[in-house]
This record gives sequence, structure tokens and C-alpha cells, in this order.
Amino acid sequence: MKKYINKIKGLFLLVLVLATNACGDDYLEEVDRYSIDSESYFNSETDYYNALVGAYDLLQSTYLNVILGEIASDNTFCGGESATDVVSWQQIDDMIHTPVNSELKNLWDWMYAGVNRTNFILEFQDKTEFDGKEIIIGEARFLRAYYYFELVKWFGEVPLKETRFNLGDETSLPRSPVADVYALIEADLTYAINNLNYTAPQVGRATKGSAQALLGKAYLYQNKFLEATKVLDQLITEGPYDLVSDYDTIFENDNENNIESVFEVQYSDAEGAGFECLQCSEGNVAVGFNGIRNYTGPTFDSGFSFNVPTQEVVDEFEDGDLRKDVAILDIVAWAAANNATYGEGHEHTGYYNRKYIARQGDLNTGDQNLTNPNNYRAIRFADVLLMAAEAYNRGEISDSKAQEYLNRVRARAFGAANDVTSSGATLTDAIAHERRVELVGEGHRFFDLVRTGRGAEIDGFTANKNEVFPIPLEEIQFSNGNWTQNTNY
Amino acid sequence: MKHTLFKIIALFFIAYSGAQNIDISGNVQDATGLPIPGANIIIKDSNRGTTTDFDGNFTLSGVTNGTTISVSFIGYITKDIVITNNYKLNILLKEDLAMLDEVVVVGYGTQKKKDVTGAVSIINAATLEDLKPIDAAQALQGTSAGVSVTSPSGSPGGNFNILIRGVSSNGDNGPLVIIDGYAGDLNSINPSDIETFSVLKDAQAAIYGIQGANGVVLVTTKSGKKNSAAKINYDAYTGIQETTRELPYLNATEYALILNESYAANGQALPYPDVSGLGTGTDWQSELFEQAPITSHNLSVTGGGEKSTYYFGGSVLEQDGIIASDKSNFNRANAKIKLGFDLSEKLKFTTSANYFNNNRKTIGENALGTPLFNALNYAPTYSLDQQDTSGFLGNEVINPLSQIANTYNEYSGNSIEGTFQLEYEAFEGFKVTSRIGLKSYDDKSKTFAPIVQYGSGKVFNNDRSSVTQTQNTNNSYTWDTFATYNKLFNDKHNTTFTLGTSAQRFWGDNLSGTGFDVQNNSWEFADISLANGLSEAKSTSSYIYDSRLSSYFGRIQYDYDSKYLLSAMVRRDGSSDFAPNNRIDYFYSATAGWKISDEAFLKDSDVINFLKLRASYGTLGNNVGDDLYRALLSGEATYVLDGSLVTGTASGRVPNADASWETAEKLDIGLDINLFNNQLEIVADYFIEDRNDLLIENFPISGILGGGAPGAGLPTVNAGTTRNKGLELFLNYKNSVSDDFSYGLSYNVTKIDGEVTAVSNGNISEGGSFSVGQPAIARMEVGQPIGYFYGLKTNGIFQNQAEVDAHPSQSGLGTAASPGDIRFVDVNGDGEITLDDRTNIGKAQADYIMGLNFSFNYKNFDFSAYMYAELGKETVRNYERDQPNVNRLSLYLDRWTGEGTSNSVPRATVGATSNKLFSDFYVEDSSFLRMQNIQLGYSLPNAVTEKLGISKFRIYTKVNNAFTLTKYRGYDPAATNGDAIGGGIDYGFYPISRQFILGLNLSI
Repeated sequence: MKKYINKIKGLFLLVLVLATNACGDDYLEEVDRYSIDSESYFNSETDYYNALVGAYDLLQSTYLNVILGEIASDNTFCGGESATDVVSWQQIDDMIHTPVNSELKNLWDWMYAGVNRTNFILEFQDKTEFDGKEIIIGEARFLRAYYYFELVKWFGEVPLKETRFNLGDETSLPRSPVADVYALIEADLTYAINNLNYTAPQVGRATKGSAQALLGKAYLYQNKFLEATKVLDQLITEGPYDLVSDYDTIFENDNENNIESVFEVQYSDAEGAGFECLQCSEGNVAVGFNGIRNYTGPTFDSGFSFNVPTQEVVDEFEDGDLRKDVAILDIVAWAAANNATYGEGHEHTGYYNRKYIARQGDLNTGDQNLTNPNNYRAIRFADVLLMAAEAYNRGEISDSKAQEYLNRVRARAFGAANDVTSSGATLTDAIAHERRVELVGEGHRFFDLVRTGRGAEIDGFTANKNEVFPIPLEEIQFSNGNWTQNTNY
Repeated sequence: MKHTLFKIIALFFIAYSGAQNIDISGNVQDATGLPIPGANIIIKDSNRGTTTDFDGNFTLSGVTNGTTISVSFIGYITKDIVITNNYKLNILLKEDLAMLDEVVVVGYGTQKKKDVTGAVSIINAATLEDLKPIDAAQALQGTSAGVSVTSPSGSPGGNFNILIRGVSSNGDNGPLVIIDGYAGDLNSINPSDIETFSVLKDAQAAIYGIQGANGVVLVTTKSGKKNSAAKINYDAYTGIQETTRELPYLNATEYALILNESYAANGQALPYPDVSGLGTGTDWQSELFEQAPITSHNLSVTGGGEKSTYYFGGSVLEQDGIIASDKSNFNRANAKIKLGFDLSEKLKFTTSANYFNNNRKTIGENALGTPLFNALNYAPTYSLDQQDTSGFLGNEVINPLSQIANTYNEYSGNSIEGTFQLEYEAFEGFKVTSRIGLKSYDDKSKTFAPIVQYGSGKVFNNDRSSVTQTQNTNNSYTWDTFATYNKLFNDKHNTTFTLGTSAQRFWGDNLSGTGFDVQNNSWEFADISLANGLSEAKSTSSYIYDSRLSSYFGRIQYDYDSKYLLSAMVRRDGSSDFAPNNRIDYFYSATAGWKISDEAFLKDSDVINFLKLRASYGTLGNNVGDDLYRALLSGEATYVLDGSLVTGTASGRVPNADASWETAEKLDIGLDINLFNNQLEIVADYFIEDRNDLLIENFPISGILGGGAPGAGLPTVNAGTTRNKGLELFLNYKNSVSDDFSYGLSYNVTKIDGEVTAVSNGNISEGGSFSVGQPAIARMEVGQPIGYFYGLKTNGIFQNQAEVDAHPSQSGLGTAASPGDIRFVDVNGDGEITLDDRTNIGKAQADYIMGLNFSFNYKNFDFSAYMYAELGKETVRNYERDQPNVNRLSLYLDRWTGEGTSNSVPRATVGATSNKLFSDFYVEDSSFLRMQNIQLGYSLPNAVTEKLGISKFRIYTKVNNAFTLTKYRGYDPAATNGDAIGGGIDYGFYPISRQFILGLNLSI
């Protein structure tokens, strides 16, 4: 009987102890963790502003679009240390790139990351009300248009969504026709134009002028010349922008966000960066990559000798064009004159892209090649004038208006009037020539050639193929048959 | 039920009624005449008994004449003696070579080794004593079948990764480590404080549910023994360490000649027009490596009274690095206490505490641009203090000695950990145990980056000094309560029930900050409090974590006549790491055993002493990742507005609402055999493990979801399945030839075949990098081993232009081939060589791992040797900087210089070639056999020690890592960072050191 009682006692003890120890599943709910997550955000004006900063952040990753836009074109060779230094770039330079290209994959990923960050704001745009919200929404829509414009430029038809993408969209959402992508870009920019001012609340944020310029560019890329002239004219006449009188000063770090900058991507040398996350850098990564290999001497800092100008583009400059020595650094002559030394990389031409090579005088925060603070002058007023000129000419709207805008750019370039008086197709060629030399090194050349049907001027270019870049193979695979590859890739 | 109970009670009364009591006493000795303290004397069929004292003596009163007493001690064959009026007994116990009565910890309980039905490896204190590992994990290497221990580094204080039966997961493959009942880590435990390791390798570990899939290492620390006088052990050793290898590299003249040749090949001017005065130049490796000391002291006191036991241990270890000993060193101190009290006959209390302190300084290692990498690539023509100011060697290679001189860091960490355990035996066979194990580890580190210039463009240049300080606290507890009830029904049906619950919590936080403009650019002033410079960028960071498990478990163990064994277990786990609607799961397993040797037809066999067939099957979990189901606002959102950095908010990693744990399905069939008087022990196992719902980190998903954003990242998705199958064989032979001579030989081998059997959506997960700017080289892909190397396959060297012309064009790789270039295989047969021709060219995980241990004792000498081997694995040679002017391996002396000169090493040229693309030219067989430990000891004879009043005095000499047989060219064929995808890539591993040790063991 004693045993029996013991057993009861034992069982009682067991139940008691187990019950004490067993915390139940509530125990799992009490975790000490950060509770705010993506779905519980947007509770104040500050939240919207902070998310907008996040949406701007991806602009910095467009260093890749800029450097590749040049490398892909007939302006530069890929360069670098050796033929296998960044293979993905080398292939694009030689127009032998395939859907397997990690850099095109990066470009796709980063631009869609930008789209998602803007869509994050726009998805929650009605959650909390405050004064001045239309500014933030306007900027978010400008940025979405900016990212989608890059995507449609590079890849043509792309999946389109106005809220964040979800898992499964890749197998269900189609690649939208180019016209639909542009329709959203136009709608976003129109909203931005109507809600933003010519002066932004902070330097670096998009303005009404930024939106007008980008809309004009989007029209031009679609050959909507009349619409382009309207919006660009409005910008030229009403906007606060003008040409900087001395071309030589435009690209220096002490002349950022100048009167010619209609939109400028902001960079800084204040934060370190590493190769493992180039899109995380606050610096302009392209500048270090463009830089002079193993340079010692005045004015410049060294870099990786990518994106080196070809003799052909150097020869494109007319005699007396003051822009040549600003845009192109003749390293042989410079080294001789300044007692500087340098190394020779792959495809060494003797020239460097002087607008965007590393300069001395910044903080050299490590890795100093990735943290150059040079802002990227994304849309310059000169670009706006040349776009307007092109639209007037190619749209057969007014060659005299076209000449006026073109010659305004040329007058600065030569230090005095150096007018083009031709018209029609000759004027078209003159404007194209002017775009090339005015904007060399700024990432526009490849797309200017392609959109005007002149892609074949690039070595290795295959018509009906290389006008757009291949959708990254991984994306085709993710889509599980939903997306087809671009023609001939 | 009631009737049965009364019958049982009645039986007890009957047993008591026949008592005719006498008092007995005696002495228990081993074969050599030494007393055995702590031996158990138990009156059969009762719960009465006693244990022997320090001198092996015992007394036992009230013994019935004619009953049997059973005398037992771990490691000895139990002896039954019938009491027939012999009041004074002299009992001799024989050593049990089979150790079948050895008790094995199997999780929430123990089992006799002979009754174990799972696959368990046991490593005991004797092995630890032989190996004297610096980190306890090292004791598992080569000593237990199915277990491999790898390290990414031979640097002092480097960490070790334990793998049980291969790599199943692309994420965390480390086993659960349970120390005296609580979840802990091996690195904080002094190896000398460990009594045994039990490694649970199969479904038996399902009692650990969601934490058991990678296997479980159960550590039992040393305790005192009851009724024994204080025993003092002092162990000390000191030694010298040196590098195990220096790589054959070009000397200055050879280097200059090859450089000249490579420039000439491309039609460029010679960099060294006159090589006559260069000589051999600087041997950077020998400048880097030095001899460095290691010392260890270990003291323990153990003993016990009638109702209590105690163990005190203290140890100090100091190890300097074989590279830059003042910048690369480690020291550790441990203090341990373990106490046991019988509070009453039924209530036992055990408590232990372990204090751990470690301090470490490190130099960069195993990455591009670290000192060893630089030592291999820096030009031998440069003098010791010469910087590469001209950038001749590219931006990423600098003087390694200067680099070390500018390296400043320190790390220190302290932990306190321990347990409190109460064990209450309510009545015979029914025990309730409740214990709580705690661990708190705090560490801090400081890194100083001085202003330094190595020459234009060097990526190591630093214009602004900074000091970064970090503090972490890590806490955890494991609170288990469980009851076991053991009952023998009808003499044959032996059943043990276990029922319990467990709560675990792991939590902690981090705080890190950076100060700029360190005064005097000096380490002495390197502290945030003195560094007053500010940065525009945010220079502080923090994080917190909290992870909890709430669990219930139950187990039934049953045997019929101790011959047919069965067990079944279930565990229900809830994990806070997953979404609230998706955090509960059940894990099950069953095991069975059949002691064939107990059957009549084998019972009297002279050859087969023991034969058991066993099998286990079940499911276990791997709890990896937390908060995977939601997007925290942890993304990077920094932009520049008004000329200054502005930090906003963005989503972090793309969430996966359905994320859950990984599930392993394990099958094991094993045989335990003892032959020839138990001299030969054989354990063989066949196993298959399917790891389902693999949590694949950075699972490739479409970029449209925004995972490429700064600070974001790809989701972790349950998206793969792997299968590992293999065989394990363990052989152990012991023979005492005479009283003066005995020897033992132990061998184990494991064959593992691993394969990825499914990845959802046909995705391929990539990782691991090679050289600079090349695509990832390791993959997880269906039908291939996890993390296999994906690259171009080579087929010799083009000897002439005709061969080039006859071969598919290689220009798709970037450059057309010339004679002397590597000929790649057109794997996909499309008539051109492109990156699409990449294929499987190796893997980091070995096909076979094996260990061999030989020992003998002759009179007062003892000798032991431990070897370890891994066969059928590859390592990627990635310590060669892809730059035309860097130094290189002597291998390149045998390069192609014209038709017929070489068919394996390509020509030297600074021109563009595709020879630097990742191919099997860079993948080397890294199979190896390593003599880990050879030891010779001498103990003073008993006659002498008795006179001195001590029980043991032994001196020994030992060589660790005496030699390694391998074809691998790099420093250490065994080294890997342990990543499932991206492991086995060698940037110049910090070599493991060869150690010459002199040591002393003293026991009083």
C-alpha cells in the first residue's frame, strides 16, 4: 500500500513539475525582438520620408548603367587589368554577351530593387495623411519612372507592376509591351510634373524640371517628337536651368548640382564600401573603375583603367572644341608634362574618361576606389537642349528651332559662336555628332545609337539582336516559361 | 491492475521474511593488484549495496547467507559471488575489454552500451588524455567513425567545424552540443574536464527533435567519486610550434626570367633586362613564419565523501602563432567546479559551473589581400621593407611584413556556464529529474586601422585612422524536466518510460561603434573615448536576438529478456523563429535491436562473444534561420541630400511567409560484433539520410522582387532535398600479451555519398568565388554533390597552331587560343568553347574519412599514434593573384615553352589569355593522410611512486601533425571554411602548426 501511495505521489509530482516547466506556446510569443516590419510601417510623415530616401538609394547603383552604356558603345573599350577582368563587361564591349552575364543580372536586380522601393511607398500611399504628401508621392513616381526607363532601355519589354512584386509574379505576370512600360513612365512623370516644384526641398531630390526632362527623353526614345518638343520647350523656357559657361568646371567636385544639372545622382565619400556589395556604396563606383591604373602624380587618383576612350571618339572632336581636353585625358602627354607615372592595363589606348576619373582631394575612405564622391550629372541642360533640337529636327517641326538649341550648346563648346546652319538629314547628323562629343563618357552613347537605328556602327553589333540586352538567363528560368528571351539571344 | 500490484508487494514481503543476516567485508582489486575504489557491491534482487572506499575495501551488513552479491565497476567484468559464510572476501575484477557494461549517455538518460540500439560513437577521457586537444572538438577527429572535424585555419584560437555523416544541409551542418544537459559550445570547455563524448549519429537523436538532424554531441564532464580521498592531478606541457609547410615558390632570378619571358611573349619590353644580380632575393614565406611557443597547465582535484562528490579543475593555455606571434596569439583560462550531494536517500542534487576566459589577436587570413596571400604574391626581388610604390604588382598586393606591422586588434571573451540538477527517486524505478543549464558569454573586440600608405592605388591605403569597438552578450538557458519509470515485468519484459518537457531560450545583443582620428595614429591611443573625429556616415550599430523553443518529449524503451530491444520516441517542438501559424512540429523515431549472441545457437561460441543487429528510423529537424517569414526594416537606405548622408528606411531580406525548419529522415542499420574473447570489436553501420525542406539561404528568386537592394537579400526558402548514404566501419583490437606488454589498434572508415536530389523549380544555388570578377564556382544542383565545383574541363595544352585550329574556337571565352594555352573541353559539344562548357570538376567533401590509432605499453613505456585521412576530395588553388607581375609557384618552372615542353602548365605571357578562367587546372586533389599525434611516455614504476607517496608520475614527448602525405600543393589539404557551397577554396590557409611537446602527468 505504501508503494501505491508513493506512486500517486510520484505521478502528482510529475504532473506538477512538468506543468511548471512546460511554458506552453505563449512562451514563444514573448520574444524580445524588433517589432516594426515592412507591413506595419508608414505611420507618420517621417516614415514616408525615410522610405523615400530608401527609394533614392538605388540611384547610386546606376553607376553600372553609366559605365556599361559607354563600354557597350563605340566610345570606349572595356579595358581593366586583363582580358578576363570583369568578363561580363568585356563581353558586352565585344558584343558577344549572352543571357549568362552577372553584370546584366545586377543591373536588372538593382533597377527592380528601385522599382520595389518606390512601389513600397506607393502601395501604402493612402495609409497616413499629412501636408505635402504629394511631394513625396511625386518624387516616388519620378523615381519609379526613372528605374522603369532604365529597364525598358536595357531590356525592352519588362514585367510591370504598380505595387511591390510578390513571389509567383515571375511565373504569372507577362513582360509588358514597351508601349505599356512607357505609358506608366509617362503617367508617373506627368503626376510628378504636376505636383513638384522647380526647387526641391533638399538638394539632390527630383524637381519638376527633372520630371520634365525625363519625360522629354522618354518621348524622344519613342520618337514622339511633338510631345517631346512641348515638354522640353516648357522646361527650357520656364525652368531655372542654364548652361555653365565654362565646360571645364562642370564635372569637378566643387561644382556639383550646378545650374546645368537638371537631375544629378548624388554620391559621397563619407562612408566606406567593399566589393561584396557595390550597390551599397555611397560613392560613385564607376569613377574608381574608370580611373588611371597605378597613377602617381598631381590632380588625379588612381583606379582600374576600365572604360578607356577609343581613338575614334577622340578624333570625333572638331578642331577648336574646348570640350576635348575636358572629356579626354591623354595620359601620355599628361604624364610627360606633370612628371606623373601610370600603369598600362588591358586595351590601353592612352586615353581616359576625364569627366569621371578619380580626383585627389576627397577623403579616400576605404576602399577608396569605390568611394569617389563625384556626382553623376544624369540629365544636363545641354542634354535637354540637344534632345529638344533633335525632336524639332527629326519631328520635322522646326529646323530653325533645332539650330537655335544646337548652336547654344556649340557656342559654349567653342568659346564663341560656331553655328551649324544645315537642315534636314544633315542637321540630324550634326545633332547626333554634337550629342556624342558633348555627352561622351556620360553613358548615353549606346542608347542614342540604338534608338536612331545606328547600332551597327558598333563593332560586333548584330542587328535585330543587340538593340536590347538579353533578359538574364536566371530570370528566364525563374519565369518557368512565362517570359521568352529577347530575339536572337 | 490492482491485483498485479498486490502480488508484487506480496513478493517483496516474502523475500524479506527469509532473512538470516550476517555481516561481510572485503577488498576489490584489479589484475595488477591495485585497489579499485568506487566499485559497486550489490545484493542481487535487492536495492541494497555499497561501494568500495579509496583502498578498495568495503563492508556490508545484514547479508543473507546463500544470496549472491554482484561486484561491478565500469570497465571491468561484473563478478557474482554467492555468500557462503565467507565473511572476508578478496575479489579480483578482470578488465572488460569489450566495455559492454559501459554506460552510454543517450539523451535524457543512459543505457548500457550493449543495449544501445542507435548509432553512437563514444570517446572517453583516455583518448582526450592522449590527444590533449587545444579545442575539445579536435578529439573527435579520426577517433569516431562518421565524424569529421575541419578548420579553416591553423591560427591560434581558430574555430572547428564538426560534421556528422557528411554535409546534408547547405546551411548549418554543425551538431547540437549538449554539455551536462544544456545546449553549449565545445570551445568554452577545457578538454581535460571532459569525461566522455557520446555522438548520436542516427534517428535515436530524435529525442532532440528540431535540433537533432545534424547529430548530437553529448558531453559529460568529470565528477568526483563517492568515498574516495582527494586525488590531485597535475598535467603540464610546453612545446615549440612551426609551420607544417612552405610552398615551393620562385626565387628572385627564376621570377625575373619568367616575367621577362611573359613580357617578350606579348612583344613588350623586358621588366628585368639584367637578372644577373638578383640572386635568390627575399623568401617572403620564411620571413613570415617563425617558431612559436605553446604551454598548458592543468590542475584538478577530485574525490567524494559518503554522500557527496566534488571535482575542481583549473587550466591555463597560451599559444602563439607561427606567423607574427605578437599579432596572432591566443590564451585561455578555465575554472571548473562540479559538486554532487545526496540530500536524502531519494533526492540528489548536482551542480556545476565553468568559467571560461579567452583572449585572441589575429591577422587577416584566407582571403585575397591577407598577409599570407601577399607573402605568396609579393615579388621576391623586393627587399624586406620595400613597398610596391609603382603599383607593379597591381592594387591588391602589398608588402606582407608592413601589412602585419599595421595590423592591430584584440579580442576577449568570458563565459560563465553551468547547471543545477535535482533528481528525485520517488520510488524504485521512478525518477524525476529537473535541471536548468545556463550560459552567458560576453565578448568585446577592438580593431585599429592606422593611417597608412603602401603606394599609389593600393586598396589598403588608409587616409584616416579609426578604431572600431564591439561588444556582444550571448545568453542561453535550457530547462529540462523529465521523469523515467523503469520496470521489469514478469522477469523478461523490461520497460523504461521517459516523459519530459524542455524550454530553451537563446538571446543577446550587440553594440558596435567606430571612432575616427586616433591620436598619434597609435594603438596605445586607439579607443573611441580618445578618438574625437566624427564621420558623416553612421558609425554605430546594434542588434538583438531572441530565439525560443518549447518542447515535449516521450520515449519507451523495451526489451524482452535483454535480447530483443525496441524503443520509440516522439518530440513536439515549437520554435519562435518561424511564423506564429507555422512553428509547431512533431518528430518521431523507432529503434530495434537483436542480440543474436544471446540466442542458443551462438551462446557458447568461442569466436563470437557478442553480436547485435540494430536498426533505427525516424525524423529529426534542423532549426536554422529566424524571422525568415517577415521583412524587417533592416535594408540599407542611405542617400546624399543637401550634400550630407541621410539614412532612411528600407526592407531587408525578402521574406518567405512559409519558411519552416529542415527535416531529416534517417535510416541506420548496424552490427556490433565482439570476437576472440572480446579482443576484437567491430561496429558497422549503413545509413541513408534524406534531408527535406532544406532551407536554402539566398535562394535565387527573380530579381523583380527587389532582393538586390542594398542591405536586402534573397529569401531563405525550404527548397531542396539532399541524400547522404554511406557506410561506417569501426575496428578495435586490444591484446594483453603479458603483464609487461599490451597493444591496441583501432581503425575507422566512413564512406559517404552525398547528392542533391531536388531543388525546387530547377534552381541552382551558387556560392564561392575564384580570383577576381569571375562567376561563382560552387553550386548546388540536382544530381550533383552539394557545393560541387563548376568550371571548365581541360585537356592538356595546345602544342602548336595546328592543334588550336583543329579544336573548337575558344574565343567565346574572351580570347582566341594560341599554342601554349590551355585546351578546354567542349563539354556540350556545340562546336565552340564558352562558359556554357563548364561542368563538375571536383568537390570539397571527401568520399572517405578514416582514422587509425595504434598504441602499446611495454613495462613503464607507453606509445600511441593517431592518424587521420580524407580521400576523394578536391581543393581550389586560389592563392594566386591574377596579375602579370606577381610571384608564383615553382610549378610554373615546368610551363609550356614550345612544342612538347609541357602538356599541363600553360605558357607565360602578359597578353590576354583564357588560361586564368576557373578550370580543373586550379582544382587539386587534396586527399591526405596526416600523422596527427605520436607520443612516447614513461611512467615511474609503482614501487618508486609508492615511496614518493604519489600514485603516478609520467613524462612524455609528443609531436602533433608530424607529417601529412598529400599531393595538394597548398598549405593544408584539410582546411576548409566549412561552407556547404563555397567550402574548399584556398586563399592561402593559415597552416596548421607542427608541435614538439614535452609534458608531465602527476597524480597524488
